[in-house]
Amino acid sequence: MTKRRMFLRMITASLLRRRSRMIIALLSIGIGATILAGLVTIYVDVPRQMGAQFRSYGANMLLLPQDGATLNSENLAEALTVIPQDELVGAAPYRYVRFDMTLRQQSFTAAGTEFEQITKTSPYFSIKGRYPEKTREVLVGKEIADTIGVKVGSGMELTYQPSSLQSDLTPEESRMANAILSGSAEGWSAGVVYVSAQLDENAAITSVTVDAGTQTPEYGGRVPEDADFMAQFVGKTLPLTLGEDVDALSGATVTSAAVVEALNTARRTAAPAQPRTVNYTVTGILTTGGEEEGYVFISLDDMQMMTGEDKLDVAELSVSANAEQLEGYMAAIGAASDAVQARLVKRVTRSEAAVLTKLQALVFLVTAVVLLLTMICVSTTMMAVVSERRREIGLRKALGASDGSIRAEFLGEGLFLGLLGGVMGGILGFVFAQVVSVNVFGSSITFQPLLLPAAVIVSMAVAAVSCLAPIRRAVSIDPALVLKGE
Amino acid sequence: MSLLELKNVSKIYGELKALDNVSIHVDQGEWVAIMGPSGSGKSTMMNIIGCMDKPSLGEVLLDGVDISKESSKHLTDIRRDKIGLIFQQFHMVNYLTAVENVMVSQYYHSMPDEEEALEALGRVGLRERARHLPSQLSGGEQQRVCVARALINHPELILADEPTGNLDEANENIVLDLFAQLHKEGTTLIVVTHDPEVAEAAQRTIVLEHGRVAREIINENFGK
Repeated sequence: MTKRRMFLRMITASLLRRRSRMIIALLSIGIGATILAGLVTIYVDVPRQMGAQFRSYGANMLLLPQDGATLNSENLAEALTVIPQDELVGAAPYRYVRFDMTLRQQSFTAAGTEFEQITKTSPYFSIKGRYPEKTREVLVGKEIADTIGVKVGSGMELTYQPSSLQSDLTPEESRMANAILSGSAEGWSAGVVYVSAQLDENAAITSVTVDAGTQTPEYGGRVPEDADFMAQFVGKTLPLTLGEDVDALSGATVTSAAVVEALNTARRTAAPAQPRTVNYTVTGILTTGGEEEGYVFISLDDMQMMTGEDKLDVAELSVSANAEQLEGYMAAIGAASDAVQARLVKRVTRSEAAVLTKLQALVFLVTAVVLLLTMICVSTTMMAVVSERRREIGLRKALGASDGSIRAEFLGEGLFLGLLGGVMGGILGFVFAQVVSVNVFGSSITFQPLLLPAAVIVSMAVAAVSCLAPIRRAVSIDPALVLKGE
Repeated sequence: MSLLELKNVSKIYGELKALDNVSIHVDQGEWVAIMGPSGSGKSTMMNIIGCMDKPSLGEVLLDGVDISKESSKHLTDIRRDKIGLIFQQFHMVNYLTAVENVMVSQYYHSMPDEEEALEALGRVGLRERARHLPSQLSGGEQQRVCVARALINHPELILADEPTGNLDEANENIVLDLFAQLHKEGTTLIVVTHDPEVAEAAQRTIVLEHGRVAREIINENFGK
């Protein structure tokens, strides 16, 4: 038998055959390790836990158009790819437009949005009724509902009055901004060709429709179906000249000329775009306690249909990440896109960081206190063990044990206790953290595989440090004194 | 040839002279008893011979080496290598079995060897009780384990302090028989006792009184 095996045999015998004593020492280390491991797990997990909590207080990042650019569904989706999917809780786009309410001659702000995203970014929205689920349904802020007296199920007629007052356009252009034109001209053999065109806010043509029913089917009649011919008009500004701005469809020159002429005629008689009125059904009344109560909310699809534009004013994002990561995403979005810029909602991100810091400081403090208490407890227990074993220590010395051997034996027992206590603490600590997490934060935590070795190492270190004073006492025992007499 | 020699040894605690200018010698292979009433300096002498204490004055030669001025670390080494100790209260490690207790002595001396330890237990008639804990052994059995533990490293000197003080007569005889055997094998024995019967088993008795050697008695009947 080697010395090492005898050493282990003595230590295990000491722990196993003196069970009642050692269980107390083991419990003090084990309970200490349990609380420590639990607290550390919570400490590590708190940012994630609290992050989820904070997300219920609303968005922490905004996406806005950069100066001179337009935010739309396309570049929004592009910007969102910067943020990892599992961190993006929700992204609610908003388009704000003034709407009129036809019957009451009132106007108010309507927001086009995606209701599914709102439930994620603004979980505090309180709805009487339900969110709109299909087109032509509207969610009405409580303030408006009270003013105009609508209830869930009421009908509500909303009117969009296209704004024609764009400052960088000439008076003529501004008159035509967003206008829908219609006109007619004579084509082949005195048949009338009807044309209508939709203009955008810069008075450029976005689409053209032609009715050439009076023209010979195999010649001029082909004009509306010829995609190349029709596509020439998009993006052009009136008036147009045939052969310069647009080319005639071969074999249908007269009809082509009639289309151009009809458009030019229509331009002269252009009236501002017609207001669009749509009848909505109220599905819910919104209470938030904030300014949202002064808005009506419709789906983004409805908004695009009403205004004829794919345009967003802002997107509210709820991202489960710390302030540092958010700064990173903000910079990345700015760098990746010419059109989109990101901003942090400082009041949310700052208070989140402040609360986290305080909470972590608290857990850290409690951890330190528990560590100290554990050490005191283990040290006291080991001190009692040394007193109780004075004779045995004296005997070992009389048998020739050096001070080093005595140190090694007690340290060995301490480390063995630390090992057992650490394994116990690592496992029970996770259970403890899980219970705390479920009861306090309402969500479970993931097991950190590093926790077990860490708990073992820490509790062995704690046990070793706690044994220093008892070991010093053991070494100082004089065999002649303790072995003598009765 | 003397194994142990005390030359003018005194141990002074303040006013009290526990040992007062004592000179004795013990030859190699000799069996000596040290007798005296309590307070006569027996324990002090036993501690000094057992390298657990140092004299205030005088020289202690063990195997020709003066141990009176050695550091306590060195004394530990000397005790481990040369001396086997037996106590009145037996003193066993209470959570180790009989054979493990014997092996503890081997462990500090050199290498634990279970076979050898079992053999030593066999010598004191306790081979079958080797796996018992001290609490499962009688006093006599415990003291026999201690004898086995004292002889396991083949010490030059076995120093026994009242080895039969806590034993009944039957067990006392067993222990004295074991001493006689060891003596025959050439082991030097010093037995501190206040029991005249135990002293009579030795070749020579040194009587201490008030820290001095009062007289020495040669046992004429030894070995008869």
